Amino acid sequence: MSLVADTPPNSSSSDDFASLLAVELDSISSEASPEIEVEDDYELGPDSLEVTSPDVEDDHDYENRDLPLEGCRLSLVETVSIGVTGWSRHRVKRRKVEELEVMEKTNGKHVEYVDKFRLKCSVLLLLLLALSFVLLVLYFAELHFDLQLCAEASTSNKCLHPVVIKDICVVCGEKMEEASGVALGYIHKDLRLSKDELYRVRNLDKKNSLRNKKLYLVLDLDHTLLNSTRFKDMTEDEAYLKTGADTLKGRICSFDQQYVLTNMMPCGRLIIKGEIREAGRQTTNAVVSRVINKVQNLDLDEGSLFRLDYMQMFTKLRPFVHTFLKEANKMFEMYIYTMGEPLYAAEMARLLDPSGVYFSSRVISQVDCTQKHQKGLDVVLGQDSAVLILDDTENVWQRHRENLILMERYHYFASSCQQYGFNCKSLSELKSDERELDGALATILHVLKQVYSMYFDTELGDTIGDRDVRKILKSIRKEVLKGCKIIFSRVFPNKFPPQSHPLWKMAEQLGATCATEVDEPVTHVVAMDTGTEKSKWAVKQKKFLVHPGWLEATNYFWERQPEENFRVSQLKNQESSSAPHS
Amino acid sequence: MFFHIVLERNMQLHPRHFGPHLRDKLVAKLMRDVEGTCSGRHGFVVAITGVEDIGKGLIREGTGFVTFPVKYQCVVFRPFKGEILEAVVTMVNKMGFFAEAGPVQIFVSNHLIPDDMEFQSGDMPNYTTSDGSVKIQRDSEVRLKIIGTRVDATEIFCIGTIKDDFLGVINDPGAAA
Repeated sequence: MSLVADTPPNSSSSDDFASLLAVELDSISSEASPEIEVEDDYELGPDSLEVTSPDVEDDHDYENRDLPLEGCRLSLVETVSIGVTGWSRHRVKRRKVEELEVMEKTNGKHVEYVDKFRLKCSVLLLLLLALSFVLLVLYFAELHFDLQLCAEASTSNKCLHPVVIKDICVVCGEKMEEASGVALGYIHKDLRLSKDELYRVRNLDKKNSLRNKKLYLVLDLDHTLLNSTRFKDMTEDEAYLKTGADTLKGRICSFDQQYVLTNMMPCGRLIIKGEIREAGRQTTNAVVSRVINKVQNLDLDEGSLFRLDYMQMFTKLRPFVHTFLKEANKMFEMYIYTMGEPLYAAEMARLLDPSGVYFSSRVISQVDCTQKHQKGLDVVLGQDSAVLILDDTENVWQRHRENLILMERYHYFASSCQQYGFNCKSLSELKSDERELDGALATILHVLKQVYSMYFDTELGDTIGDRDVRKILKSIRKEVLKGCKIIFSRVFPNKFPPQSHPLWKMAEQLGATCATEVDEPVTHVVAMDTGTEKSKWAVKQKKFLVHPGWLEATNYFWERQPEENFRVSQLKNQESSSAPHS
Repeated sequence: MFFHIVLERNMQLHPRHFGPHLRDKLVAKLMRDVEGTCSGRHGFVVAITGVEDIGKGLIREGTGFVTFPVKYQCVVFRPFKGEILEAVVTMVNKMGFFAEAGPVQIFVSNHLIPDDMEFQSGDMPNYTTSDGSVKIQRDSEVRLKIIGTRVDATEIFCIGTIKDDFLGVINDPGAAA
């Protein structure tokens, strides 16, 4: 910095100052205390300072530290330190001088010296302060200049590199040094979008949504659309699946040795056989007719049990899933979003959608998540207000609870039942399955249709941009238990604020009103056993006395469930029969 | 761009191939080994057109394999920035589309697709003009210009544009059908 060099007092000031002090002090001390040995005479330079006193030796150190000051640019900190050292040096000297003053009070001539010295000191101090101020100003001026340069650079370079693939910007073709932005690995493994671009893309089809008439649907795999188990986790009761599948495998392998088919074999017929056997045992006419219907409807190519040899896995698709996807595809652009491995996700997508019509490349797996153990809609190229989510786990969607339609878990295999702590026979062990026509997927499809038609309801005017699936979902949910007034009895733990209990919240979201005390408008009493006062009251007043399972089932099915199925007295039976379905 | 160049390679041949057809075996092996590979320097080796020279074989100690230095002519394909290519569309999505020109994969971003073409989702996602006359979907053939390349040891990836004169769809399978 030229300015520093130009400032005359700076480069020489500390030297001058030091030598001046040396001269002054030496003269004082030699006069004052002749006992002190003085090696050199009054020569300038650091040597003269050395021996006079420890204080002055300190000075010498300061001076050394100040040396870089000459010629080179000063940082702000240094500037301040100079000020401080200068000041403290001044103080030290002054104290010394004052001591001497006291000692030499009688010497009038000396007082004159001291006065002169003080004046010089203060002038120098002022100069130092001024210098530091100038440097400060300079420092900020340069900072400002730098910022301006940056701003200029960003405006002159027009490409903001919105999308980067394999470290090349897709707009200008420039090579990028470091990867930034959100990775969309499911589209292409090296594709990255900047935040702004993501925002732009997501808003892009807002205006087209009326024309395209499609919303977005994010689907979870495990326990929502299907259920998988590893060979080694299968129980003895499930062994029939293995042997059965093996015989079928022989047939299909001869048909197509090559590729996927060896790994994915529909074994639909097998399940039906199992059900017929089971049906025979139950000897209920209705069940038999249902199963027979199913046999007629079921296309073997769309089987639901698959054996994936190279993954050592059995996968069971949820009943109704094919119809569900076919119907939902008309209304939604569908994504798969799973916490599984990419390979697993791709394989499951192929089972669900062999021709790639429903999902194409929209299969998001664990590696694409932007946050650990959380699913997020940020990698979904659709606006949050147009996305519905089907998942069986609420916790992974912390940020998007309002978009979520919670699914009843589908447990087909015993291993998955155990995983969630059910100590009962699994559907596979019972050789049974969820009902197709009024199972979870069928009910949810109904809800989806409702949301869809409300979103695109033309009678609501053309302000489609303001519509929000979250609001619609909320309003539909509110209708479910409208007019019900619920009190809970021995459901919440003692001293637990009932308003914050999940069941209470659930009931309110479903449109019911909740209360803590019995009164006339109460319609339902939710209790764990019949012995409580409220339960007795309910029996006496002929109110519905239901198990909390009633509320949960209502929540899953979006429909007020028949209260007879959830009687508290039936608790024991309920658990054994309904647990595999829940 | 295609180039006809001479390359050299050391071929190792198993002793069982020694005999009157040694040369044929060597050439056959060369074709098997080289054609379709990619080198960052020369691009993709499309075809071997002739063998210029086969040097003296050297017996490897211990294995009995013989190493022949082989000089061969071949056609290589290497895309360059600014080059015009014709490619087949393989995948269309909201971000743009992927296309292939032989072994080279090219991505065309929606920024570099003409503004009057809009993305249509559905069973067959595509980019269509507002009047519906031009459509880019899977298996469409497009003429595009390369604006950036990334050359790896085994793969070449390009970024292209169709936002320029005389670029775009050259044969639309949907329209022909």
